[in-house]
Amino acid sequence: MAENEEFTDIRGKPIKLSCQDYSPFCREFTVSSAKLSLVRVMVFTCIVWLLAYAAFYLTQNTAVLSSAIFVTLCGMLLHVHFMKVDHETLLVVGSLGVQLSSTYASGRESTSFIEMSRIKDIVINEAIYMQTIIYYLCILLKDPAEPEGVGSVVPLFQSSKPRLNCLVRVYKSCQEILGQTERS
Amino acid sequence: MGQRRRTDVRSRVPCPSDTQPFSPHTHSSTETPPDTHTRSSSMSGCHGYLQSRKHSICMVSDFFYPNMGGVESHIYQLSQCLIEKGHKVVIATHAYGHRRGVRYLTNGLKVYYLPLQVMYNQSTATTCFHSLPLLRCVFLRERITVVHAHSSFSAMAHDALFHAKTMGLNTVFTDHSLFGFADLSSVLTNKLLTVTLCDTNHIVCVSYTSKENTVLRAALDPDIVSVIPNAVDPTDFTPDPSCRDESKITVVVVSRLVYRKGIDLLGGIIPELCAKHPDLCFLIGGEGPKRLVLEEVREKYQLHDRVRLLGALDHKDVRDVLVQGHIFLNTSLTEAFCMAIVEGASCGLQVVSTRVGGIPEVLPDELVTLCEPTVSSLCVGLEKVIAKQRAGEVPSPASIHRQVQTLYTWRNVAERTEKVYDHACGQPVLPLPTRLRRLRSHCGAVAGSIFSFVAVIDFLFLLLLQWLWPDDLMDVALDATGPAGHYQQGFGKEESKDLNAARCAVADTRQLKC
Repeated sequence: MAENEEFTDIRGKPIKLSCQDYSPFCREFTVSSAKLSLVRVMVFTCIVWLLAYAAFYLTQNTAVLSSAIFVTLCGMLLHVHFMKVDHETLLVVGSLGVQLSSTYASGRESTSFIEMSRIKDIVINEAIYMQTIIYYLCILLKDPAEPEGVGSVVPLFQSSKPRLNCLVRVYKSCQEILGQTERS
Repeated sequence: MGQRRRTDVRSRVPCPSDTQPFSPHTHSSTETPPDTHTRSSSMSGCHGYLQSRKHSICMVSDFFYPNMGGVESHIYQLSQCLIEKGHKVVIATHAYGHRRGVRYLTNGLKVYYLPLQVMYNQSTATTCFHSLPLLRCVFLRERITVVHAHSSFSAMAHDALFHAKTMGLNTVFTDHSLFGFADLSSVLTNKLLTVTLCDTNHIVCVSYTSKENTVLRAALDPDIVSVIPNAVDPTDFTPDPSCRDESKITVVVVSRLVYRKGIDLLGGIIPELCAKHPDLCFLIGGEGPKRLVLEEVREKYQLHDRVRLLGALDHKDVRDVLVQGHIFLNTSLTEAFCMAIVEGASCGLQVVSTRVGGIPEVLPDELVTLCEPTVSSLCVGLEKVIAKQRAGEVPSPASIHRQVQTLYTWRNVAERTEKVYDHACGQPVLPLPTRLRRLRSHCGAVAGSIFSFVAVIDFLFLLLLQWLWPDDLMDVALDATGPAGHYQQGFGKEESKDLNAARCAVADTRQLKC
């Protein structure tokens, strides 16, 4: 069964959180941000083209126009392929590990897996981000040299940046699973 | 000031997993409606705290641990005592090297190390504006009701006072130093102080002399200036008579060897007294340009075995030096509040001091012998004490320590500071037009006009920030300390509340990315 809930990110844009329960030990969280908006693409393209026309008017060189077309196309491809993330998924499987994957707007998917033995805990932390201070969810990894200490931190939902109430929701369900794993 | 990093493994990381019962529902109730102006939202937060008679305090200063010094320990000790009294305290300072982001110290004291550019001597560059976005974020998310800035050398403290007024918060300022009036740097600092203090609700000074100085420098109304002395930790300075060499009488001097500590006087006293009393010796701790004077005296009168120069001392070694002596000598020519003589008396020593600045206020008459700042007067005073010491008429170190340990405690300082906060919170915050008029009438025509212009720009910048990043989009931080603090609930209980036990314990594992 899947539940969908509406939240906002730190910029106030709506995001959707869906929780998929596969079994008591396996849960999947997907944060989907808004699709690439057509208006923004149009505005961006128009700005580049207007600049190109201005340059063309001054230089009378048609290479400027062709390079403008090239720039817009490449920029769009790169943005869709490497920058714009549509979904971010956190799959927690008790006693096995955590899988993080993000789906880009082009459909490209990047996935990584962290096995349970390396995970110390999942916590909500605070950080200074640009000119503001935000909450984020992160996985604490064990330090191989020092079993009690924390080796490094893996931030979750890095591109969607949900607000605290959404993070709390994910955090609580994650802790349920992690708690069950520890007890058994 | 050596930058020392003390990390303590004992302090556990307050992971939300076991300490912070998150509840999204409590948050929605505390969030302000989207269209509310900052002023009204901060006031409503203030009322919530006022009903419980507790404050939400933000201490701002450029100087905090891992930097070491008097202001740093003052802020830390005061915050700990205020937390103990049930207030919520957060500290904002600038980033020290890799120590940036949010850290927790003992008892859930939260410290924001903000990434601001350091300009000179650990003080940040002041542009009046660039710190506003981050400070606004701290003030809003922690629902601050009182902003308490420390030290007039700290540019960040001045900035914070200015921004807090723009945001409509009550402010308190603590001045830690005496200043001159004549040289260029003091004239400029005094002008800046006049501007930032002109609409500060309350100012705290460490002694009456310091109050007089601040009132004159910043052209203030003396009624809004309170005197709250510093405190020492009596458990750090305990007497230990067994360390003394009873076959001779030792005079201890611990100060920086600079002109204003009266080292030239000391150079005059040493040969005179050493000639009269063959069993007298001097133990001098500290470093500075006037060391040459003492070395010269030592050379000239062949006193190498009787005058020992120890060089620079760490704060933790001071006590071990103090307990070796019988008499503590202070020859300062100017002093706001002399901590050294309190430390000396706390170690059970007889104190001889000059009568300058705030020193006569510090100790009761039976514990200190005051002299005029001349060689002859100090010699007379010292001889009197030496005679008493020989006759065995002096009270025992333990009884002196008992008398001193109740005089200056941090709990007392916190209690008095609390009253200052109560007073400051009851006052209205001036709206912008009144503030501009006040700036112009208080700070002179030129500086007043310039800074009213800056105040207007600051206000417009705040409006821009509120439009770009509305208040309701900022998540309210969970309270670690204060009336609804999560830190003490089941987590801090097993930890000792002793302030000394876990001082400067930093949860280093909170690695944060900027």
